[in-house]
Amino acid sequence: MIAAGIGIAFGLIYGWVINPIQYTDITPDILREDYRADYVLMVAEAHQSDHDAETAARRLAILGSDSPALIVASTLDYANNNDFTQNEIMLLQGLLTAMQTYQPQGATAP
Amino acid sequence: MKIIHILLALLIGLGLGLAYSWRISPVTYVDANPAILRADFKDKYRVVIAASYASTHDLERARVRLELLGDTDPTGELSAQAQRMVGAGESFENVQPLAQLATDLQQGFASLPPTPVAFVSTPLVNTPIINMTEAPATNTPTEEPLATEAQSTVEAITPTPTSPFAQTALAPVAASPFAPRPTFTPVPPPGDPFTLVGQETVCEPGSKSGLLQFILMDARRKQIAGIEIIITSPQGEDHSFTGFKPELGNGYADFVMKADTVYSVRVVTGGASVPDISAPTCKDPNGASYLGGLMLTFQQP
Repeated sequence: MIAAGIGIAFGLIYGWVINPIQYTDITPDILREDYRADYVLMVAEAHQSDHDAETAARRLAILGSDSPALIVASTLDYANNNDFTQNEIMLLQGLLTAMQTYQPQGATAP
Repeated sequence: MKIIHILLALLIGLGLGLAYSWRISPVTYVDANPAILRADFKDKYRVVIAASYASTHDLERARVRLELLGDTDPTGELSAQAQRMVGAGESFENVQPLAQLATDLQQGFASLPPTPVAFVSTPLVNTPIINMTEAPATNTPTEEPLATEAQSTVEAITPTPTSPFAQTALAPVAASPFAPRPTFTPVPPPGDPFTLVGQETVCEPGSKSGLLQFILMDARRKQIAGIEIIITSPQGEDHSFTGFKPELGNGYADFVMKADTVYSVRVVTGGASVPDISAPTCKDPNGASYLGGLMLTFQQP
């Protein structure tokens, strides 16, 4: 019994610490928060010049199942708490406004 | 006999432990970096980087962002993706930002000036930076080995909150009126015609058969990216764009001709059609025939 317990312990240490499963094909929804914020900022920078809410929403959609507005809002919180420049915050605010008023094609206004 | 039982118990335990840690409850990523994104998501990431660059023209920042994807040749990946998108029938408008970014990375400067922005007084940007060699700093997100970056939910390891990004102190180009500007790549005005100034037969046994190469230059003989070329044959029409292979020149484009087919070539941004283009027949040193190529050089007056 003791030997089996030692074997299990070794197996767990090996599988979790020494040689854990390595992921290589992840989806963007588990990106670290700073990378997610930078991605959203890029979308905001692009949106600044093309003003294409549909494209921006589509680009944000790969970050998870939250609504685009919620994704931008949480990024804006992050930006406000993490020394983003005033211009970057303005860009994110602009994108947030666009996403809050954005109606997906086919959706009807309330 | 007792030792055999102990070894057997150890092995069974080891197997159970591995099964649990690899199958039942493997390490789960919660704070991944873009380098391990699936290939299609990396493509989308590059598109967004290029779209952002098309808006800001901040080449250094775009370069740093591309490095996050961990490509060994970021410029080559951009070009390859641009070509894949063209091959998949994407519109030129969608592909052009990638080609432009690849071209600018190749030449080392932005071909258009940075876009003036409303607030330019803060000289800091927040792009995460890669630090492959140094130990991770407390508040600098760095690329870490996968094994250490992985956070096991079973072990309930909570990632240390990071304060945002290492601050890359780039000069705010738009804010400093005396900062030296890069040389701009001239954008050809609409209607400025390209004329054929050179047509060379390319007979190199090792080269691709029937390769029709284009070089497009402005009046100062500077190669120009983003020009559409239409190649027409009895089988239909093909489109090619300069700038998708910046390693061969910003004004370079190519097309593979078939044997015994006559093409006409037209540069879309002005310029007359060049008729009767066909792959020449060349002979190698042993006298054997093979399909050669052509190089057409167009220039604005």
